[in-house]
Amino acid sequence: MAGKSINWSPSNWPRLFYQFFTSFKVATAVFVLMTLVTLLGTLAQVDHGLYAAKVKYFHSFFFTEKIFGIPVLLPGGLLLMIILTINMVLGALVKVRKRWRGAGLLISHFGMIMLLVGGFVTWAFATDGYMALYPGMSSNRVESYRNWQLEVFPLDENGKAKQAWILPSDELQSIRVDEQRSYDADGLPFNVIVNGFTKNATPIPVTASAASDATGKEIDGFKLAPQDASKEAEQNLPGAYVAFDPDGEGENVEAILWAGSYRFDPKEDPMPFQFTVDGQKYGAMLAKKSWHVPFEVRLDEFIFERHPGVSTARNFESRVTRLEEEKETSLEIKMNEPMRYVGYTFFQESFGPPDGRPGEMFSQFAVANNPADQWPLWSLVVTGIGLGIHFCVMLVDFIIRSRRKTSASPQS
Amino acid sequence: MRLSSTLPTLLLAALMATSCGDNGPSGSEIVTRELPESQQSFRLVDSSAERFRYQKRDAAAPAASSQASSAPELIYTTPEGWEEKAGSMMRDVNLSFGENDEGECYVARLPGAGGGLVANVNRWLGQMGADSLTEEEINALPKKPLFGQPATFIDVTGDFSPGMGSSEVKKNHRLLGLILASDAGAVFVKMTGPEKLVAENADGFDVFTSSLDVSLN
Repeated sequence: MAGKSINWSPSNWPRLFYQFFTSFKVATAVFVLMTLVTLLGTLAQVDHGLYAAKVKYFHSFFFTEKIFGIPVLLPGGLLLMIILTINMVLGALVKVRKRWRGAGLLISHFGMIMLLVGGFVTWAFATDGYMALYPGMSSNRVESYRNWQLEVFPLDENGKAKQAWILPSDELQSIRVDEQRSYDADGLPFNVIVNGFTKNATPIPVTASAASDATGKEIDGFKLAPQDASKEAEQNLPGAYVAFDPDGEGENVEAILWAGSYRFDPKEDPMPFQFTVDGQKYGAMLAKKSWHVPFEVRLDEFIFERHPGVSTARNFESRVTRLEEEKETSLEIKMNEPMRYVGYTFFQESFGPPDGRPGEMFSQFAVANNPADQWPLWSLVVTGIGLGIHFCVMLVDFIIRSRRKTSASPQS
Repeated sequence: MRLSSTLPTLLLAALMATSCGDNGPSGSEIVTRELPESQQSFRLVDSSAERFRYQKRDAAAPAASSQASSAPELIYTTPEGWEEKAGSMMRDVNLSFGENDEGECYVARLPGAGGGLVANVNRWLGQMGADSLTEEEINALPKKPLFGQPATFIDVTGDFSPGMGSSEVKKNHRLLGLILASDAGAVFVKMTGPEKLVAENADGFDVFTSSLDVSLN
């Protein structure tokens, strides 16, 4: 029997597209591949850490994985989720026959689509960072865990700076170890040249025997030794060879800039590299990308208790005041009781310094801004309602059919 | 037809997604910005060593009493018969033992991973004329506590080439070492000396390393 021929003409493409994406086979294939990607991503967390695994397996359209030593191109979680969303919208909402008996299933599928779209919104628009405060300190500034930018600033006679020229993290972190890029910033009398950016590095004195493995240039008695990327991406301390090339005459000023010169403690000030061009003193450093929330948070008290005899924390919580124009609100932020306000969520995350004593420690909040923060909850409620309706419909149907059967059966 | 309105919307959303980051507001132009008062101050240091958080130490000062510029002070028990020597930029604690100070033991801390566990273990093995180990073999080495954490223990005998510009080879030496390489920082404890002398002081090495702690005062 001859197979049914397919009309591949462009005018028929929308129909083919529709048929493909409403196919139950596509949904099944996506679920199988999602299982595989989830398995690979979960296993990869052991060796590469959560963040790296998340980016490679779940935030990608495609990735390659060596299976039995052979590199195989596989669809990433992002692509699979988009296909699944299209499949569910077209297959479970558009194509499906609309009838009252199927209302519950329709609603539950809508809930699942909400969950998928919520995941997409989180991936695309959510921000996360942290804010660390000692008691008495207040701030509206949130710093990124993982993103570093290059900052250059003129220093006044008191060693302070009022304005900074910033090479954003997206650009800086895209520079390879063996790559050179030059930047001409308006208002600065020199070009900024980045001679390689290393995602995780340690400056090592050339007098140390460990420096023999470092191939980078020696500057001021140090070499920048690349390190393997950490499993915990926020623990990576990047470094870069940077040169400042005066526009007029004069030699380049070269420096190693290292993230470890930035602050590890909210009371600490960063330690920039200092140099002078045309009689003006400048500072340069790698700094964490930062942004502001539309209110200030003041830490009034940090309560910290350890388990007796060990350094493990038993409980830590923060009493804070949220400061807005002409309005102050006192709150407590605990481990599972975050502060949610105008789209921002402050979680009690950590504390420090590691050798700090109670009363002399800072509190660290994870600050998330996720437009889809509550979507998983709503989608589960919607899905639950849909399944509940469907269950009731099925139950009523079953009872009616049972009664009919009973009434139709002959009397014994 | 609903298809015509649904698909472009979803595809547009997918395309938008490819240009968005996931961690903080995005942007890639060189920008200037006014610094708020909280970001206007800096700690201006004189040397790269300070900027890279290597300790600023008075070379003549005893190691145990020296105060790091910002790093916490180390406290420890000095084993009987051991002697404290002056520290250096690379050594937080510097001890010697033996009649003529033939044996030495030091503690060094490096910011970051300090070159990594594998490279440092193999560097030490190389100094003793031993073959390098694979990462799996190094991970299988015994552990001993250091600052309350399991540190990799190295015990190797051979001809010791200290390096550091010296071509001297010290015959029949032994190296006992502990490496604690975390991403926050690396700690190295290295003891070397003539094989017999190190064997006599091996208990002292354990006393010393297990007593190492950070002062909270």
